[in-house]
Amino acid sequence: MSPLKQVLLIAQRDFIQRIRSRAFLISMLIVVGIVAVGGPILAAQGTVSKPYEIGVTGTVPDGFQQAVEATAKGFDRTVEITSYASTADGEAALEKDDIKVLLVDSSQLVWKQDPSYQLSAIVTSAVQGLDRSATIAQLGLSQEQAAQLLSPEPLASRSLTAPDPSEAPKQIASYVGSILLYISILMFGQFVMIGVMEEKQSRVVEVVLSRTRPRYLLAGKVLGIGLLGVIQLVIIGGAALFTLSRANAVNVDLAGIGARVAFTVLAWYLLGYALFAVVYAALGATISRQEDAQGVAFIPIMVILPGFFLSIYALEEPNALLPHLGSIIPPFSPFVMPTRMVVTNVPTWEVALSVVLIVLATYWVLRLGARIYQGSILRIGAKVKLRDALKAGGEQ
Amino acid sequence: MLELSDLHRRYGKIVALDGVSFDVRPGRVVGFLGPNGAGKTTAMRCVFGLVRPDSGEVRWNGSKVGPRDHLRFGYMPEERGLYPKMKIREQLVYFGRLSGMEPSIASSAADRWLGRLGLADRALSKLEDLSHGNQQRVQLAVSLVHDPELAVLDEPFAGLDPIGVEDMAATLRELADSGVGIVFSSHQLDLVQDVCQDVVIIDHGRVVLAGGLAELRDRSDYRHLEITVDGNPWTPDLPGIEAVGDNGQRYLIRAGGDVEEVLRRAKQDGTVTSFSFEPPNLSDLFRQAVRR
Repeated sequence: MSPLKQVLLIAQRDFIQRIRSRAFLISMLIVVGIVAVGGPILAAQGTVSKPYEIGVTGTVPDGFQQAVEATAKGFDRTVEITSYASTADGEAALEKDDIKVLLVDSSQLVWKQDPSYQLSAIVTSAVQGLDRSATIAQLGLSQEQAAQLLSPEPLASRSLTAPDPSEAPKQIASYVGSILLYISILMFGQFVMIGVMEEKQSRVVEVVLSRTRPRYLLAGKVLGIGLLGVIQLVIIGGAALFTLSRANAVNVDLAGIGARVAFTVLAWYLLGYALFAVVYAALGATISRQEDAQGVAFIPIMVILPGFFLSIYALEEPNALLPHLGSIIPPFSPFVMPTRMVVTNVPTWEVALSVVLIVLATYWVLRLGARIYQGSILRIGAKVKLRDALKAGGEQ
Repeated sequence: MLELSDLHRRYGKIVALDGVSFDVRPGRVVGFLGPNGAGKTTAMRCVFGLVRPDSGEVRWNGSKVGPRDHLRFGYMPEERGLYPKMKIREQLVYFGRLSGMEPSIASSAADRWLGRLGLADRALSKLEDLSHGNQQRVQLAVSLVHDPELAVLDEPFAGLDPIGVEDMAATLRELADSGVGIVFSSHQLDLVQDVCQDVVIIDHGRVVLAGGLAELRDRSDYRHLEITVDGNPWTPDLPGIEAVGDNGQRYLIRAGGDVEEVLRRAKQDGTVTSFSFEPPNLSDLFRQAVRR
C-alpha cells in the first residue's frame, strides 16, 4: 500500500462521512443563504434603473408628459405616468406601491411615506418649467427670446478619469467573495480541527496510526475536508453565476465579473485553506475534549479576522499601504489579494510574490504543524502544551 | 517471527522500557504480563512505531520493522475506539483497505468477520448503536480483518463477559492454529495459563521471566502441596516446607524434596482425603517474579 493510496483513502473516508452529515448540509444552507442575500444586491447595482412611476390627478398642465420625461432624462431616469380619476384613487395606488408619487392638481406631491428628493426635483422642475413657459407666452416674447429663456445652454461636464460602470458591481461581488472566503476557510479549518479532535476523543486514532503514519493521516484529512470546501464553493459560485447571467445589466458584464471573482476566490481558498487547515489540525491534535475546542479555536481567528478586515478595507482603498502589504504577506494575503485582484489591477509580480510567500509559509507551517500533530496525537486526556508537543514530535 | 531486542524508552525521568527483549514465534500465543505501569503498552506501541524506542529495535523475520510490515500486523490498543458514527461494515472495509487490501477482498473479509461474530444483520448499524459487547467484537474484527501474520492485543479480555471471554479465547486459539503469532497482555492469569504457550513477565521495564509456560513451571524450584486429612487441611510439620497464602492450606516444597515422606506422615494422622502436588501455576510464578 503506497502512502499516496493511504492518503487518498483517508481523504475519501473523511469526505464521504462528512458530506452525508447533517452538520455539513446545515452549514451549506447557511452559506447559500448569504449568497442569496448578496446576489440580488449585486444584480440591482448593474441593472437598468426602473422607471419612476408617477400618478397624476386633477388638472394636469399641457405637455406635462414631455416636460417630465425631458427632466428625468437629465437624471438618467425614465418615467411612467398614470392618471387617476380622484385623489383617493391615486392614494390607493400609492398604498399599493403602484406609483411612487402622486401629483394633485399640479400643485401638491403626495408620498406613501418618505419623499424621494430626486423624484421630487424631477416633477417640481417639470411643473415649474411648464408654468414658466405659460407666463412667458403671456408676456408676448418672441419665439427666440422665449427659447433662450427656457433652454439655456447646459453646463458642460467632464471627469478626470472615465467613469467605470463596473466599479460598484466589482466592489460588491468582491465583498461577497471576501465573506465567502472568510467563512469557507474558517468553517473547513474548524472541520479539520474537530475531525482531528474526534479521532482522539473516540480513541480510534491509535488503530489508524498502527496502519499509517501521522503525516499521512494529517494529509488525508486536510485533503478530504478541503475538497468538501471546493465542492461547496463550486455549487455556490455556480448558483451565483447563474443568477448574474440572467440579470439585466447595462454596459456591465456582470457574469464576467462574477466568473472572475469566483475564480480568484477558489484559487485563494486553496492557498489559504492549505495554510490554515494545517494550523487547525495541529491545534486539534493537542485536545481530546469538546470543552477544550473553544480554547484553541480562537488562535487562528486572531489572524483570520484582521485578514478579513483588511480585505474589506481593500475594497475602498486597494492601493493604500496596509491592504497593499497585507495582500503580499501571509497569512493575510489569501483574504486581501483576491479583493485587490478584482477591484484594481495588481501587477503580476505582486501576485507571483504573494503566491510564492504563501506557499513557503504553508511549507513551514506544515513541518511545524506535522510535528505538533505527531507529538500530541497519541496523548489523550488533558490539553497538550504546544511546547511539549513540539518536543515530543521532534523525537518521533 | 517478531523480535523485540533490547528496547529502551524513557519519558523524562520515568523509565518505561529498560532493555526489553522477547520473541513471538508463528503459531504461538504469548501472554505478556506485568503489573500496571510495567511497560507493556509502551512495548506494544513500539511494535507499530507508535512509540519510537530510545535504543534497541523491533525486527520482523530478521529485519528491522518498517511501515510496510505494520500492515501485516493486527493491533488492538488498550484504549478501545473506532469511528462511532460509521457503519460497522464500512468500518471493517475501510481498515482492511487501509492495510492494503483490494476493495473487493476487503469487502468479503468484512462480511466473513461479521458472519463469524454473529453481526451480519447489524452490518449497516452505526458502531455507537451496538451494545458494549458487540462493539468489542467489532474492535477485534478490525484488528484482524486484513488477515495479519501477527496479532498484538492489549488487554483483549478486559471488559468481556464470560461468554465473550470464551469466544475470544477460541478465536485466539484458532488464529494460532492457522500460524499467526499472537502476543497479548492481561491481568487474568488463569485465562492466560489456559490460552498461552509462552509467557513474558515484565516489571519496571525489564523482562523478569520469559519462556514456554510448561517449561517455566517445571523448572521452578518449588512444588505446591495441598493435603487434607479426614476432610480438614493438614499441616505438614517438616523442615524445608513453608506455608503460602493466609489460610494455611497450601505449602511449598523444594523441587526434588521427599514427597513420599510427607504423604507417609499424613497417612499416620488419619485418612488422606485429598492430596495435590504440582508445579506452581502462573499466578505463583507471576507473584514470585514481580515480588518487590
